[in-house]
Amino acid sequence: MLRFALAGNPNSGKTTLFNSLTGSTAHVGNWPGVTVDKKEGVYKKADKPIAIIDLPGIYSLSPYTPEEVIARNYVLDEKPDCVINIIDATNLERNLYLTTQIMEIDVPVVLALNMMDAVEKRGDKIDEKELERRLGIPVVKISALKSEGVDKLMERAYEASQTARKGRTVIEDTALKHLISDIQIALDGQGVLNPLFHAVKLAELDELEVLMHKEAVNMVEAFKKTHIDDTFGDDFEALVADARYKYITKYFSPALKRKNKDKFVVTPSDKADKILTHKIWGIPIFLAILFAIFHLTFSENFLFLGGLLPENWVSLKGTAFEGVFGVGGINSPGVTLMRLVELLTGTISDLIAGWLSTSPEWVSGLICDGVLGGIFSILGFLPQILVLFMFFSILEDSGYMARIAFILDRALRKFGLSGRAFLPMIMGFGCSVPAMINTRTLADEKEKLATVRVIPFFSCGAKLPILTAISGAIVASFGVGNVDLITYGMYLVGIITALIAVIIMRKTTLNGNPPPFIMELPAYHAPQFRNLMMLLWDKAKHFIEKAFTIILASTIVIWFVSHFDFAWNFLPDDQMQNSILGGIGQLIQPIFTPLGFGSQLTNMGWVFAVAALTGLIAKENVVSTLGTLAACLVGVAVDVELDGGVLAVTKIMEITKIGLPALLAFIAFNMTTIPCFAAVAAAKSEMPDKSKFKWTLVFWISTSFIVSSAIYLIGTFWWTAFICLAVAFIVALFVRAYDKKVQAKGEK
Amino acid sequence: MQPIEIIVIIACVLIVGGVIATSIINKKKGKNSCGCDCANCSSCSVCKNKKENNEK
Repeated sequence: MLRFALAGNPNSGKTTLFNSLTGSTAHVGNWPGVTVDKKEGVYKKADKPIAIIDLPGIYSLSPYTPEEVIARNYVLDEKPDCVINIIDATNLERNLYLTTQIMEIDVPVVLALNMMDAVEKRGDKIDEKELERRLGIPVVKISALKSEGVDKLMERAYEASQTARKGRTVIEDTALKHLISDIQIALDGQGVLNPLFHAVKLAELDELEVLMHKEAVNMVEAFKKTHIDDTFGDDFEALVADARYKYITKYFSPALKRKNKDKFVVTPSDKADKILTHKIWGIPIFLAILFAIFHLTFSENFLFLGGLLPENWVSLKGTAFEGVFGVGGINSPGVTLMRLVELLTGTISDLIAGWLSTSPEWVSGLICDGVLGGIFSILGFLPQILVLFMFFSILEDSGYMARIAFILDRALRKFGLSGRAFLPMIMGFGCSVPAMINTRTLADEKEKLATVRVIPFFSCGAKLPILTAISGAIVASFGVGNVDLITYGMYLVGIITALIAVIIMRKTTLNGNPPPFIMELPAYHAPQFRNLMMLLWDKAKHFIEKAFTIILASTIVIWFVSHFDFAWNFLPDDQMQNSILGGIGQLIQPIFTPLGFGSQLTNMGWVFAVAALTGLIAKENVVSTLGTLAACLVGVAVDVELDGGVLAVTKIMEITKIGLPALLAFIAFNMTTIPCFAAVAAAKSEMPDKSKFKWTLVFWISTSFIVSSAIYLIGTFWWTAFICLAVAFIVALFVRAYDKKVQAKGEK
Repeated sequence: MQPIEIIVIIACVLIVGGVIATSIINKKKGKNSCGCDCANCSSCSVCKNKKENNEK
């Protein structure tokens, strides 16, 4: 099968083209660095199928970060049949810099001028025939987003792949040209593949080339002694880069005809950036946007209109849809959709309970309490998860997320991180696994390790049911605050914990300064409806798949181990504390005593202990376990799966007599402790040093205990806030002293 | 024991056994065993590479 590689600058549209060619649904984001590893798909429209390889974005073939190494090695070593160099046509000159390097490799190359729709919208024109003549490679105009010109691109790429191509360089500087030519002849004699490319890189004294071709380095060193450039001295990398740009400016720029050639045009993106990336208002605007998202997703008092509308009008009292649109206040879109799903799951539960009314007690108990109690308490959250991710995707796709990284860079730098580290953290709101893998874009190893460790504190989608169910139960039982505020607050607790942890790590064990943050800000654009729907569909499919596999199996196991003792005798619901699960829970229960949900709950503390334990398999298990246990402890008469698991937690609260501080500590514990198995495995794979991985596990456990016990203590005994502050102050002094000592050592 | 009890027990064993077996097989094949959705994962090829390496 022919293999065509997609190479280009970050955020030039490679993955969009990849999706368009292969029909894949790979994640596309409007910020540089979304793809960190190569992806493979198949183009089936040609006579024979063609493998398409989407490579991570690179600015040059001199790699600095792991994903740049992947792209370079693929093009050089895997010998693709054709390289499709996709470039952002709105930024022609800068993108052509990489083109001039790819052209030096002995591989067929086709240039795809992407985003031509945006170029034409601006009134600019690109003469692709002129470009083609100058470059000596086929040039095709495309719009990957609209799938325009992609079939023609593939035709030209197929034609190009049928003929071998020799690399050529654009460097015209006579002295350099001679040096490159000499090295090329030497490498060719040694049988080195792509001798021209390696010769140019050796002239630049590229680190990888120096290691690979030590014998040729002498030629460069000898040349250096005789050749000192007036501007760049003996910095040959800069000299080569300058030669490339001179050529681009001289020959390729004329191919671009700008409409507003002589005046600087303020684009709508520039205008929006004046407000959204404002140095004072940027962060408050971001926090306000975040709150608006939470309000639209979780609020039961939408736009705070509660009380202004007639109660009967809102609640639809006496109808089948009673409470769907609100009780007291209007439900937000997220809550309304959740109520509709509950209406459906409630009807299914009632039907099944009716069918099983004559079956043996344990069968109806297992199906109604165990399976339905667990699964439906989780499924109810699907609409809210989708609404939340829809908003996050809109922010990402519009280009705003890249701006957040930019405005937070200054703030994060004080904590020892660069703005770049914020992007994997934000991905952590979706799922910790891809977020941890995305940390590969961070060049500094210590910064990467610190980021991997704090990613689980950015509450993922699986933790959302824990937050919402417990927040809802708190509001229902204690009448404190509202659900969206508590959920938003707990998300902020996670973020603040992450920042404090990063400060401590970067000032002590992972001491160091973050590298400079350079990122190209993409232009704002309207989110793509197709992308958005594909993302939501995949999210929903995955969530339902998980609910009916891992969660279903877990609820069955939990029901069995909570209804049988170690002698395998069946136990009725009121004797569950004597079950296998009860025994395990009571064994680990004392560990959670400092957090408020341990031994102080007497013979019912095991309920929260086992819920936290099952969360290690998948975080959704926490609420499904509480749902199953509540259904068993309360009885089938109460549909605990209703109200999105809120009723289940409320009933558990009544039975266990757990207090408000302990409940908040329980949320904080689940947010900051060891994440699910999948995330633990991802963290392990990102840490080559196994001792660092073991310390990471210790870090997660200790952080969750410190944060949760502080919340419980301060909530129970307010005066302990002063003790906690004093301890924090002492820790801060120690950290500062340690940092100063390390800095003094470094200066010496 | 009533027929429904036997059916429920068999179904439970099949579900739990199936989930465990599938995740073990997927892990061995290098398929998606992380619990996250490949379609939205910017790093889905990490699993794909593992699969290729295992096949080699």
